[in-house]
Amino acid sequence: MKFVNLVLKSVRRNKRRTTLTVLSVALAVFLFSALRAVLDGFDAVSAASSATRVVTVRSTSMIFSMPTSHEQTIRSTPGVEDVTWANWFGGIYKDPKNFFGQFAVDPVSYLRMYPEILLSEEDKKAFIEDRTGCIVGDGLAKKYGFKLGDKITIQPGIPVYGSQDYEFTIRGIYRAGSSAVDNQSMMFHWKYADERSTPKAQVGWYVTRVSDPDRAAKIALAIDQQFSNSAYETKTDTEQAFSAQFASMLGNLNLLLGSVALAVVLTTLFVAGNTMAMSVRERTTEIAVMRTLGFRAATIFSLVVGEGFIVAIGGGVIGALLARAIVNAESLGLAGGFIPMFGVNNRNVLVGLGLSAFIGVAASLIPATMASRLKIVDALRRVA
Amino acid sequence: MALIELRDVSKTYRRDAEEIGVLDRVTISVAEGEFLALMGPSGSGKSTLLNLLAGIDQPTRGTISIGDTEISKLSEGGLAAWRARHIGFIFQLYNLIPVLTAFENVELPLLLTNLTKKQRRDHVMTALGIVGLTERASHYPRQLSGGQEQRVAIARAIVTDPTLLLADEPTGDLDAKSGAEVLTLLQRLNGEYKKTIVMVTHDPHAAERASRVLHLEKGSLSQQQPVAVG
Amino acid sequence: MGLIGSYNLRSMIVRKGTAAMTAGGIAMVVAVFVMTMAIAQGFRGALVASGSNDNAILLRKGATSETVSGVLRSQLPLIEAMPHVARTADGQPLASPELVVIISLPRKSDGNPANVPVRGVGPRAYQVRNTLKMVEGRQFAPGSREINVGRQAVNRFGGLTMGSELKFGAATWTVVGIFTADDASFESEVWGDVDLMQPAFQRNGYQSVTVKLADPSAFESFESAVVADPRLDLKPSRERDYYEGQSSTTGTLIRIFATFVTSILSIGAVFGAMNTMYAAVAYRTREIGTLRALGFSRLRIISAFLAESVALALVGGVIGCILALPVNGLSTGAMNMTSFSELAFKFRVTPGLLAGGMIFSAFMGALGGLLPALRAARIPVARALREI
Repeated sequence: MKFVNLVLKSVRRNKRRTTLTVLSVALAVFLFSALRAVLDGFDAVSAASSATRVVTVRSTSMIFSMPTSHEQTIRSTPGVEDVTWANWFGGIYKDPKNFFGQFAVDPVSYLRMYPEILLSEEDKKAFIEDRTGCIVGDGLAKKYGFKLGDKITIQPGIPVYGSQDYEFTIRGIYRAGSSAVDNQSMMFHWKYADERSTPKAQVGWYVTRVSDPDRAAKIALAIDQQFSNSAYETKTDTEQAFSAQFASMLGNLNLLLGSVALAVVLTTLFVAGNTMAMSVRERTTEIAVMRTLGFRAATIFSLVVGEGFIVAIGGGVIGALLARAIVNAESLGLAGGFIPMFGVNNRNVLVGLGLSAFIGVAASLIPATMASRLKIVDALRRVA
Repeated sequence: MALIELRDVSKTYRRDAEEIGVLDRVTISVAEGEFLALMGPSGSGKSTLLNLLAGIDQPTRGTISIGDTEISKLSEGGLAAWRARHIGFIFQLYNLIPVLTAFENVELPLLLTNLTKKQRRDHVMTALGIVGLTERASHYPRQLSGGQEQRVAIARAIVTDPTLLLADEPTGDLDAKSGAEVLTLLQRLNGEYKKTIVMVTHDPHAAERASRVLHLEKGSLSQQQPVAVG
Repeated sequence: MGLIGSYNLRSMIVRKGTAAMTAGGIAMVVAVFVMTMAIAQGFRGALVASGSNDNAILLRKGATSETVSGVLRSQLPLIEAMPHVARTADGQPLASPELVVIISLPRKSDGNPANVPVRGVGPRAYQVRNTLKMVEGRQFAPGSREINVGRQAVNRFGGLTMGSELKFGAATWTVVGIFTADDASFESEVWGDVDLMQPAFQRNGYQSVTVKLADPSAFESFESAVVADPRLDLKPSRERDYYEGQSSTTGTLIRIFATFVTSILSIGAVFGAMNTMYAAVAYRTREIGTLRALGFSRLRIISAFLAESVALALVGGVIGCILALPVNGLSTGAMNMTSFSELAFKFRVTPGLLAGGMIFSAFMGALGGLLPALRAARIPVARALREI
């Protein structure tokens, strides 16, 4: 502990160099935290998935629809407790750039199926009773300034839903109780869309609650078997599997982000290592003097590593805190749509700090070794 | 009783395939409380001898004992610990650490001990008091004159109350007045505080202040000339 | 300047450890830059390669992509009759009515289902798009449930090898041929007879018609003719322009990501370069003073240090390019946001990209070396000579 002052003073030796290095590490940690946050966002959705919900889509592709008659058949499958459905509406709110999830749902069963959608009882009632009513997530409401009672107009984007504009009244603003639902979407009455659809009575996907989570996969298979060889074959997966598929469509995220993270770490190691090497090289005489005073080689080694560590941690703190403040889906405007909510949580911050500590120590190892191996007499002789 | 005993000490360096002899079978005894000056032309090996006494270099042959310890037998780690306790080294170029204040520079050797912060502080202020620089405790080396820097260096050398003070051309980089001040200080440390000092110098005026002068030439002692304490 | 050149070079060599690390940092940034941009290039390249300047694609007016477009069956003969459309030797119009639907097939790399485009095409599709070559088997026979598969699709998705049978649209289809298309997006697709695809997916009508123009330069007149006909509520575009537009959403996304990552990384590398150059200047203060005393101007000193920094960065750039090269031709896939289908493509490291990487590294070197170089020039000569 008494050496802390010494290390801190050494760091202040060349303020400009230290600052540049700290900023370098800060940037690296910032970038790393941002990437990790995105990956964690996907993981969070997966982790929050309900073990008792399964999703049914057309087996040829999820972009095709199924008839409403499938509902009864699914309900009659052993192990099924409850069924709801939804359609992807994909409309345009004022500008095609304003992208957010719009779902045509059966309000009563949908809200029953997703208890994570937190809505007051009176708002729920108001939504159910208004055919042209809708509910929006609080994140979406914040983004566009929606309030209860507001009227919004959405232009259909998919020809099936006709060409007339749809008028909605906001009857509720919901909160997301877990990562299983996002707060950037809008739900409205399926009947309202069906009235204007050609063809009618089409469902995008079914969501089913099963009685026993351990048998979810078997029940899913049983559901599909009901429809094999029909004109509308289905594919049913657990909610978790279903979201994983979505993530994989965006690309091999783990690999991509992992490689970038690696590059980030390497670049910073070069920069930090360079700094430590320069720092040590300038101080050969001082190191020799300290050795003469009785400082052991191991102590010198620790002091150099300590210096690298402090510089890097300084950068790490800045980078991690900056990432926490800036990097989240909402402020970056990436919320809604295919990328799940993400943000830099406390765990990410700790990982970022750990990374900076690693960089600080790793970058210092070689310079520290060279400093500790210095032959005192040679170093003293150099100057005079 | 001799504090320092060098017996048959030789030091050679290997450069490429050549062997260069720097010290050739030097035998010296130094009594406790002596102020010894080592003189000689450049290349005579006097600095090397000092380095051997400090334990920052090892003899190729021969033994060196200081007090009860045969330092030529110690390991690197052992030497470091021994050095911290027993040696105070004063360099020609002062070699203060620029980012530390005078106080912190003097405190440096004490960081290797188990003293508390307050105890360290007391030792440092005492040492600075002896060299007459207590009011400069919080100044950085760049704010001090050459003479003052060397005195801080001396404070650093005595703060651990070492057995032996070694000085390598302590006045070499100073003007006459500052040099004289430093030498007076060394004499005081020797006379008043009974410190044993071995000083390497090429300056006869500096050597005059010592109680004994030894001459080295090409690695060997040439003559012993007792000089009256001046 | 000769003195300065070799002087800089030798100075760099003396401090090789530091120089190496700085070059290393820059190399990493350039490597990441080239690799991520190669993704964007590959993606875009696959789509652009799909578009020939000789062809025009007709979509419903206002449709932004095939998937939201619709062309009536009755409109096809009207299009085929137009004089602008090229013909085969025996007078058949080179027009292909098309419909794209999506089926789900497992991806070989992770087993997850992927959206694979199935394109129903007209009988003369291969002549309209003459970059396509059958490399195995033969073209599907019109009127039969035979299909052809693009080679990249075969590599990426399971169950598409020669002779395999696919079940979709309440029918079974057999793979009778595999084609290549110069790595164009078609290579990610499954092709079959459009008239059989329609009922299989409960569709009535096509989504688009692609024609080969008799005279590629006569596109404008073709366009006006189509627009003038009230029975055709269609809009033609040059095929190449259409596909370029299609690549924009995902392409832009990839490019934004690449730019974001590389910018941040590059700042770090520039800081590293700055540190090195500042240290170099400090280390050689006396030399600089000497050179100035000898008569070398401030500008010369600045240029010398800037040149040194840029040269060092260029070395890093070369290393970075070499590190990135191996990804060229690597197959991967990404979702095309506009069509919701998976596009298989290859990383494309183009000479332009490499040149861009080198310029980028030179830029980083210049940025990093600028302030230190200015400092070098501003050192007062007398002080410099006094420095130890």
